[in-house]
Amino acid sequence: MGEIFDSLQQFWQFTGFANCGWGNLAMILIGIAFITMGIVKEWEPLLLVPIGFGMIIGNIPMFPGLNIGIYEDGSVLNTLYQGVKQGWYPPLIFLGIGAMTDFSALISQPRLILIGAAAQMGIFGAYLLALAFGFTPNEAGAIGIIGGADGPTAIFLSSKLAPDLMGAIAVSAYSYMALVPVIQRPIMLLLTTKKERLIEMPKPRQVSQKEKIIFPIVGFLMTAFIVPSGLPLLGMLFFGNLLKESGVTKRLANTASGPMIDVVTTLIGVTVGASTQADKFLTGKSLLIFGLGLLSFVIATASGVLFVKLINLFTKNKINPLIGNAGVSAVPDSARVSEVVGRESNPSNHLLMNAMAPNVAGVIGSAVAAGILLGFLG
Amino acid sequence: MKKRLLILAFTLLAGLFPLRGQNLSDLRITEVLVENVSGIVDEKGEHSPWVELTNNSQGTVNFAGCYLTDNPAEPKKYMIPKGVLANRLGARQVTLLRPDFPILRGTTLYLISTDGKTVIDSIEIPADLPADMSVRKVARDNKKMDFKTDSLPADPTPGAMNTEGIIESGSERMARTDPYGLILTITSVSVVFGALFILLIIFTISGNSFSGKYRMRRRKAKAAKVAGSADAETAAAIAMALSMEGGEDEAAAIAMALDLYLSGSAHDSESYILTIAGRPSAWSNKELMKRKYPR
Repeated sequence: MGEIFDSLQQFWQFTGFANCGWGNLAMILIGIAFITMGIVKEWEPLLLVPIGFGMIIGNIPMFPGLNIGIYEDGSVLNTLYQGVKQGWYPPLIFLGIGAMTDFSALISQPRLILIGAAAQMGIFGAYLLALAFGFTPNEAGAIGIIGGADGPTAIFLSSKLAPDLMGAIAVSAYSYMALVPVIQRPIMLLLTTKKERLIEMPKPRQVSQKEKIIFPIVGFLMTAFIVPSGLPLLGMLFFGNLLKESGVTKRLANTASGPMIDVVTTLIGVTVGASTQADKFLTGKSLLIFGLGLLSFVIATASGVLFVKLINLFTKNKINPLIGNAGVSAVPDSARVSEVVGRESNPSNHLLMNAMAPNVAGVIGSAVAAGILLGFLG
Repeated sequence: MKKRLLILAFTLLAGLFPLRGQNLSDLRITEVLVENVSGIVDEKGEHSPWVELTNNSQGTVNFAGCYLTDNPAEPKKYMIPKGVLANRLGARQVTLLRPDFPILRGTTLYLISTDGKTVIDSIEIPADLPADMSVRKVARDNKKMDFKTDSLPADPTPGAMNTEGIIESGSERMARTDPYGLILTITSVSVVFGALFILLIIFTISGNSFSGKYRMRRRKAKAAKVAGSADAETAAAIAMALSMEGGEDEAAAIAMALDLYLSGSAHDSESYILTIAGRPSAWSNKELMKRKYPR
């Protein structure tokens, strides 16, 4: 009887209940909150649900040494996590994004490209702030990239520059991407006048197939020659787009934009979520990262809107500043916000197609910015 | 359009040429041993002095035909032999040379390019350099490989990269050179804007070409030229006719009519849209066509 009692007591030591700390419970609650946001509010459910569940997986309290944790070499989770750690997943996601994205809005209105550059100010604003808060330059660079509003880019750069902060950076980037409508709307309304919000823009012209095929080749050559360190992201993005537009590689484009990106998104979501183990995640640094991440989104949105207002001072064909927010690369959520806020002022004013131009330019801009930061700080 | 594409292609190619980069100017004299008493021996088994060269680039450099000299007035003192496979140096690799002239203390050793004039690199040999000790250049940053001459003689390390284990990461370098991040910020913002501005230019030009804007502009210019000449001729003819016959009122009426005609104001603009406007009548009124009392 005593032996049975002893073995039961020993078993108790292996259970999650015996090893549970307040940190684990807090992270599990955050995970449940993510899942709730994804399911109930439908904010980026494809990301928040896997990340949220990953958080729960990563924070199940366990007896160390069982070789099952994400940070234990050789465990299944650790093997899957290598895609994040070594930076394999983000370029694969970019391949899928390229195969899904229609760049015609950008090709037909090249003047809107620069809005995508202006919105990258969020990255560098957060970089400066992070340095002021005492982060090292590589950590500051990794934190700054949250302002690019691009999850895969944030993971790619933080895995190279500050692997220890990657969990907090990835979760922060994806959380704020999900909250784009909540964060951007008040800033857009604050920085624009009623008259500006009513500006109607012409419908983008029809783009020929030839132009669509030339775009990824020329776009890649130009950006990669300027920032070779952004090669993995830029190469995959433009390659994916060429697969889509060439018209002869439909099967490859379908795989890249369908099953492959789904598999990689699932894996990246779960493993990033699981990497947020309480002992590594619940630190003062993580809180600071969340704060700086929010500021970077605010700076990025404000820069985009103000840049459009600046352009309007010098051009005859006015641009509606409500598309300035779309310069951050949260595709297509930020463009959707432009459309929604635009229609609040003028229900017949559809800004979606115009906003898609700075939106996809933002994807290119954030990949270029990541390449520069990697080149300088890597 | 073809012309424009050709110009674009040439511009791109012209932009690519400076990028070849991996050339003789990336070679560095990184170590010299003047008096070899007990160090490594050459292929003849002798303790000869040696000069270490490092390829500081990311590509292979063929340095055959370059020269070593300790006298700037005699730049071709020792030519590095051609046709030797070992004279092709891979990226970030090191090789040893044994010049056929004695290297003297207190002189400067120069590496001269194949043209026999251009100095690629040089190193000063201290006058008090002891035997079996070398003078060398050390890279503080193993990424940038910016070699600086060591102030003190060192134990020779022939054939090994002179980095002394001092590795400074990009982040450390930025923390040292740009603690507030302003330089990086300004540079990065400029590069992001620059990259996207280039795309803007390219796609504005290609967009105008594909949408036929340039063709239309050319046609308009051509038409304006033709119209302009017609205007001048017509005006001259009118002036002549009016001066010959007719009164002032008649002349003014003809001039106005011609002006309206030539400026296109006499014509209404056609929308080229055909519409059939429905006129309400008893025949087209649907309500009247319905039976009052269905059977």
